[in-house]
Amino acid sequence: MERYYGSYGGQFVAESLMNTLKELETAFEQAIQDKGFMEEYAYYLKEYVGRETPLYYAKRLSERFGTKIYLKREDLNHTGAHKINNVIGQLLLAKRMGKKKVIAETGAGQHGVATATGAALFQMDCTVYMGKEDVARQALNVFRMEMLGAKVVSVESGSNTLKDATNEAIRTWAKTAEDTFYVIGSAVGPHPYPRMVKEFQRIISKEARAQILEKEHRLPDVVIACVGGGSNAIGMFAEFLDDPSVELIGVEAAGLGIETGQHASAMALGKPGTLHGMKSYLLQDQDGNVQLAHSISAGLDYPGVGPEHAYLKDSGRASYVSATDKEAMDALKVLCETEGIIPAIESAHALAYAFKKARTMTQDQTMIVCLSGRGDKDVNTVADYFAGKGYMN
Amino acid sequence: MNRIEQQMQNLQRRGEKAMITYITAGLPDLETTKKLLKAQAQAGVDVVELGIPFSDPIADGPVIQDASFRSIQNGTNVENVFGMVDELRQTCEVPIVFMMYYNTALHYGLEAFVDQCVRTGVDGLIIPDLPLEEQGELRAILDQKDGAPILIQLVSPVSKERIPMILKQARGFVYCVSSMGVTGQKADFHKNILAYLREVKAASNIPIMLGFGIRRAADVGPMRELVDGAIIGSYFIQLMEESGFDEQTAKEYVSTFKRELNAFAYEPELERKSTSDLEQFIEEQGIQLRY
Repeated sequence: MERYYGSYGGQFVAESLMNTLKELETAFEQAIQDKGFMEEYAYYLKEYVGRETPLYYAKRLSERFGTKIYLKREDLNHTGAHKINNVIGQLLLAKRMGKKKVIAETGAGQHGVATATGAALFQMDCTVYMGKEDVARQALNVFRMEMLGAKVVSVESGSNTLKDATNEAIRTWAKTAEDTFYVIGSAVGPHPYPRMVKEFQRIISKEARAQILEKEHRLPDVVIACVGGGSNAIGMFAEFLDDPSVELIGVEAAGLGIETGQHASAMALGKPGTLHGMKSYLLQDQDGNVQLAHSISAGLDYPGVGPEHAYLKDSGRASYVSATDKEAMDALKVLCETEGIIPAIESAHALAYAFKKARTMTQDQTMIVCLSGRGDKDVNTVADYFAGKGYMN
Repeated sequence: MNRIEQQMQNLQRRGEKAMITYITAGLPDLETTKKLLKAQAQAGVDVVELGIPFSDPIADGPVIQDASFRSIQNGTNVENVFGMVDELRQTCEVPIVFMMYYNTALHYGLEAFVDQCVRTGVDGLIIPDLPLEEQGELRAILDQKDGAPILIQLVSPVSKERIPMILKQARGFVYCVSSMGVTGQKADFHKNILAYLREVKAASNIPIMLGFGIRRAADVGPMRELVDGAIIGSYFIQLMEESGFDEQTAKEYVSTFKRELNAFAYEPELERKSTSDLEQFIEEQGIQLRY
């Protein structure tokens, strides 16, 4: 299996993890070629996660912005976001490999909750690493994980956020890999993780492509998804990569604005670097230390980006743009009021750019926006934001 | 000849074991780092590892993480570490190895980075997040520069069939990691450490050094016939912090460790002991074996 996407990807990890990664790669390759495994995965996606998710034609949005807008409703999945697709896949793989303990990193807590959920389902011992800052500001998700039987470890190191929680999960994994499976939540990390996450998120575009062909009898003109590490985006792009007529757009978080330095747009201003086992675009300071990302959306608040996105950007197959906190929050409100859907703030970034893009399109063109998650988790942040109190992320 | 290789040759000729220490550069400041390096060289340290602080040190435990974090806050970066090495080299020839993360060199520019190593006299690089498979790009540059530092190879207790492949590329010495995971932790060695060290020793034609979790010479005593020296990192940093980065303390620690390390009588017995007998002997010394 190819370890690189162009010059991005690779395995920038300690020697003590190299055999573990090899073992994982072999197990993953065999699993996805095993009909029984893929059937079991499909079974849980249907019966437990609630797939397939609708491709919803947003009529009023379409009228307002002047092109046909479809929403891929990942927010309707069990646990409220696309994260569970990947968790089910990786946990079935862990089970197949005979591992009974799993660890995960989490920022806002969505991937942590999804992993805790899957671990409860498959009766695995689950530990979630979460930065001390995030533990404080996402107390409800900490509580949810604990209800599901997971242990949450508060990480006090570096900036006490997702990047540091990921470091700590990698360190713990290096110590315990002999009996522990590391469930990475985004399309990041050392090979084979980015490939694995793409494979287990591919279902998003597999469904969406068939759904749009059924409804419109042709491919969409534009496909848009938000990008933090890039898991919903890679899942949303996967089945359209070989359709050159489909324009693929990833939307990063511009935070307070790219020009302020307070943003999370690794591909706008980052340069290639290595972090968390991969080489990709990375926000760095003048000494090559990793710079803290900034976004109102905890899920996009990551200084790097998945290596395949870096490759898609350089090759020109996908383009990457950004939306500010304000643009995202305005778009969030529009979706609430126009369609009666409260999106996650992450997904609202995709919407913000989608609305801009729609105005440049014609009425008979179509666009799919990945609505990666629901906004229930964000209501406090939203309330504070609109009350002018700022926010903690 | 490269200073590390020269030093290893000298030690081998004298039948001595090597002692290598680690300190994070710039803690509490680069001037003190320079003095500490000089003091250790005077006390007989064989090689010094100099940690270039990085924001995300995934191979390090809490002690070195914290040291790196504070050093960065103090303004340490690879450029001013090069400046310090440059000054040190006017009076001190101790072999220097940079312990660093790949991104620091990548960001600096690999070629410019190697040129600076050559210019200032950095003799080796330990890059724990750069396993063999990812070394090609850097190695291509190292190979074409005269006097370029040696890329030190690391092996771990779970490297197994990778060992011969890794050793093929190795020069200077082999860094044998004593346990899974990260630097620091007290002397808890991997449960299969003996079989592992024997395997590396059999396959290696350069000296092998044991690192991670070593505090005193006695920690390596039971394994002394299997290794050619020891690397002390987290413990040494703690000692430095507790003593207020005192040069005298550093000197005493180095000379005591070196003396004790080389005072162990040669015990052919130890080499012949079965793995389980030796394991028992190790645990009697208060060293835990686990993973």
